[in-house]
Amino acid sequence: MTALYVLDVPENTAVAKVAAEDPAVTVDRIGPYFEIRADGAIVVDRRATGCRHAVWYSCVAGVAPGSAITQHDKDALRVEPA
Amino acid sequence: MSELEHRVRGVDHVAFPTFDPAGTIRFYRDVLGFPVVHSICAAGWGPEDHPDFIHFFFDIGNDDRIAFFYYFGATPEVGGAEGAKGDVYARFGPDVPEFFVRSRHLAIHVESEEDLLEYRRRLDASSWPVEMQLQHETIESIYTHDPNGYFFEITRAMRPVTPQEDLDANLTIDALLDVLDRPEPTFGKLLARKAELIVDRAEGWQPAVVR
Repeated sequence: MTALYVLDVPENTAVAKVAAEDPAVTVDRIGPYFEIRADGAIVVDRRATGCRHAVWYSCVAGVAPGSAITQHDKDALRVEPA
Repeated sequence: MSELEHRVRGVDHVAFPTFDPAGTIRFYRDVLGFPVVHSICAAGWGPEDHPDFIHFFFDIGNDDRIAFFYYFGATPEVGGAEGAKGDVYARFGPDVPEFFVRSRHLAIHVESEEDLLEYRRRLDASSWPVEMQLQHETIESIYTHDPNGYFFEITRAMRPVTPQEDLDANLTIDALLDVLDRPEPTFGKLLARKAELIVDRAEGWQPAVVR
C-alpha cells in the first residue's frame, strides 16, 4: 500500500484531481487533507496539474510509512512502496 | 498547540546599523515614503568607548517601525572585513551559497497588487530599482537591496491564509521536533512522521470559529 497526504488548499486541488485520474488510485479525505493511496505506485504528472514550482515542490504534506517518494522533479511526483 | 495567552502585538521595531544614513533616509523616507516617526540623539551610551549615535525610526505601517543606528566616527570596518556577499552587518565570503545569504530578510506587507505595484514604481524610479518580482502562487513579492545591502522585500498575499494551513503548520512543527529527537533527521523522515500525525489528528480537527 502506498499513501500520501496533500493539504486541501486551492493550489493543491489539481494534484489530487490528477492523481485520481488513475483508476488504481483512490482519493479520500482525512480532515482537511486528501489521502491519495494505491496498492502500487502513485504518479502525478506535474504539467497536468498546472502547478508551478513553489506549489509543486511543497504540495506533499505527508508520506505514509512504508511508502517513499522516488521522484519529485519538474516532470512528476512518484510515490512507491518503500 | 500552545495554551498560553497570546498577548504580543506585532513588531515594535527592528533595528539595523547603517554607515550610510543619507542613503538610508533617501531610500526609506524619500523613495518609499515611510514617515520618520522617532529619533534618539545620544551622546554615547554609558560605556566610555560607546560612540555618539543617532537612532532613527521609519513607520512601516500598522505603527510598526524599522530603525537604524548611525554611529558617528564609525566605519564599516567595525563590523569586520568587507565581505564578497551580504550586507554591512553580515559579511560573507564568495563561497557562501546565495540561499544562505538571502535567508535572513525583512518582508513588509501590502494589501493589494495595486499597492505592490505602487512601491515597485517608486523603487524603479530610484537608485534602488526592483531586482526581481516573483509570484510564488500564493504570495507575490518585489525585492531589492537597501543602501546598506539589506535584502528588502515587499509582499502581498494572493489569497487569505486558510484555517487548515494553521493545522498543517502545527503538524509540521510537531513532526519536525519528533525527527530532530531521532538520529539523522531528513525531509523524508519528516514527511513520514507528519503522515502519522495527519492520521492521528486531522480527522477530528475542526476550524476554530473565532480566529
